[in-house]
Amino acid sequence: MTIGIGGAGSKLAAKLDSQAILVNVSESELNKVPGGKERILATVRSERGQFRGSRKDPQIGHDAYQSVRRDLLGKIRGEKVFSSTGGGTGNGITTGLLEDISEQNDIDKSNKTFFAFVLPYEQLESSEYVDNTIAFLSGPLAKAIDKGNTGNIVLFSNKVKFEQRLSEDEFNNMLIESLKEFLDIPNKNEIHRLLDGHTDYEDFNEWLAKPYFNHFTSFDYEYKPSKYEIDEDLKGEEREKAIEKRNAKAASDFGKQLEEHHNPLLLEPETAIEAMFLLEVPKDGDATLMYNIVSYFSTLNLRAVGSVVENPDLVKPHVTVSILYSGKPAEQLESFKKNSEEIHQERVRKTIDQNVELTPLKVNLEDEAKRVIRQRGVKEDILETLKRIGKL
Amino acid sequence: MKKDETEDMRELFEAQVARLQEIHFLILLWATQTEGESLKYNITNVFDDLKSARITRTKQTAVAAVSVLLSLCFIDLRDEHNRKNIYITKYGGKALRAILDKETFKMKPSAFLEGK
Repeated sequence: MTIGIGGAGSKLAAKLDSQAILVNVSESELNKVPGGKERILATVRSERGQFRGSRKDPQIGHDAYQSVRRDLLGKIRGEKVFSSTGGGTGNGITTGLLEDISEQNDIDKSNKTFFAFVLPYEQLESSEYVDNTIAFLSGPLAKAIDKGNTGNIVLFSNKVKFEQRLSEDEFNNMLIESLKEFLDIPNKNEIHRLLDGHTDYEDFNEWLAKPYFNHFTSFDYEYKPSKYEIDEDLKGEEREKAIEKRNAKAASDFGKQLEEHHNPLLLEPETAIEAMFLLEVPKDGDATLMYNIVSYFSTLNLRAVGSVVENPDLVKPHVTVSILYSGKPAEQLESFKKNSEEIHQERVRKTIDQNVELTPLKVNLEDEAKRVIRQRGVKEDILETLKRIGKL
Repeated sequence: MKKDETEDMRELFEAQVARLQEIHFLILLWATQTEGESLKYNITNVFDDLKSARITRTKQTAVAAVSVLLSLCFIDLRDEHNRKNIYITKYGGKALRAILDKETFKMKPSAFLEGK
């Protein structure tokens, strides 16, 4: 089951899962999202009645969270939650969820929640979004990660959307397609012929329950055997050295390809803590390419878990990799803070440039009353004046 | 004065007032207001107020309107400290009241008085 919180989160959740639960403080916003199944209205009332949006104010979302708290905490267990970090509803309600999750003790692996957040592109999006994101990353998210009570956390970025000028729907489709390919790893293990290793649904869910940031990507693995041939005449130790050198080069080349194919829809990963992969090879393809992948991760002092399947639909090897890393918010936060500071400085500078001088307004009420009467020129006042100066 | 003559004079006064235009009305109004505030009001002030009220942009027109009112004995001009200051007369007062009663023109504020 998938839960979408706020406008952006709901749209993504509904694209991934036709049975998704959508949450919002605005009934009209809820009804606008196509797809999904259950809809939950988080109620929060002002003097004017139920809010029809949260005005980019996470406090409104956070207040509304209280009305759905018990229900949501039960529903997100072991599920996937989508939200943006810039707006008011997603940020506010998810903040409430993360705060409550952080307070809990020993959440079972099967009950860990997978979170996917959409972060604003700090260069072009509103400073409110950036400020909300800074507060979110440095506050509730950092606390939840420290506590280790979440599952994987995926940090999508709006950068590609803005740089490539994509429509929201088009961009959301890209995010979901990318995520689906990663989530499809256990299914591919099930439907295709296994050549090496195995990642079943249990293994995969255990992976999703790890409390780290997840950067996943997939790409066609370019491997030309001719590039790695060794001299047939070499014997003994020399041959062993040549083989060792060849293997190191193949591993290093895989690493380069992986770096070149980092998922542009996600924030760049930090140093990996754990890695998982799925290698799909064409019919009668070379399953031993797996060793290049394993060797590459071993150079990073990582044990990669993975599997190799034969996918007859392919003509080239295709690899899907998931890297888990931690400590992202600190660095990301710096970048957001730097941009936010620049935006605020620019605002101050523009305000100063406008040179608005506010002189103190001194009002003598008696004089002011006289002035108003004079300006209005009421007929009776004029006649009164004429009499007073002896002209009538 | 005989009764017919009195009637004629009343008719003459009404005819004179009926021929006054907005520019004359405003000069009578502003002259009254400034005198009520014990302020001096001269032709230059009249011209500035007429410009501000978008009635005319030429001093010639302002001077002509003041001359009309002076000829009709609705205002007096007094030489004071090298300035010709305007004072409304009792006939001018009656003319102003008559216009106000008929509500022919709308009152407009004097920029000169607002600045004080």
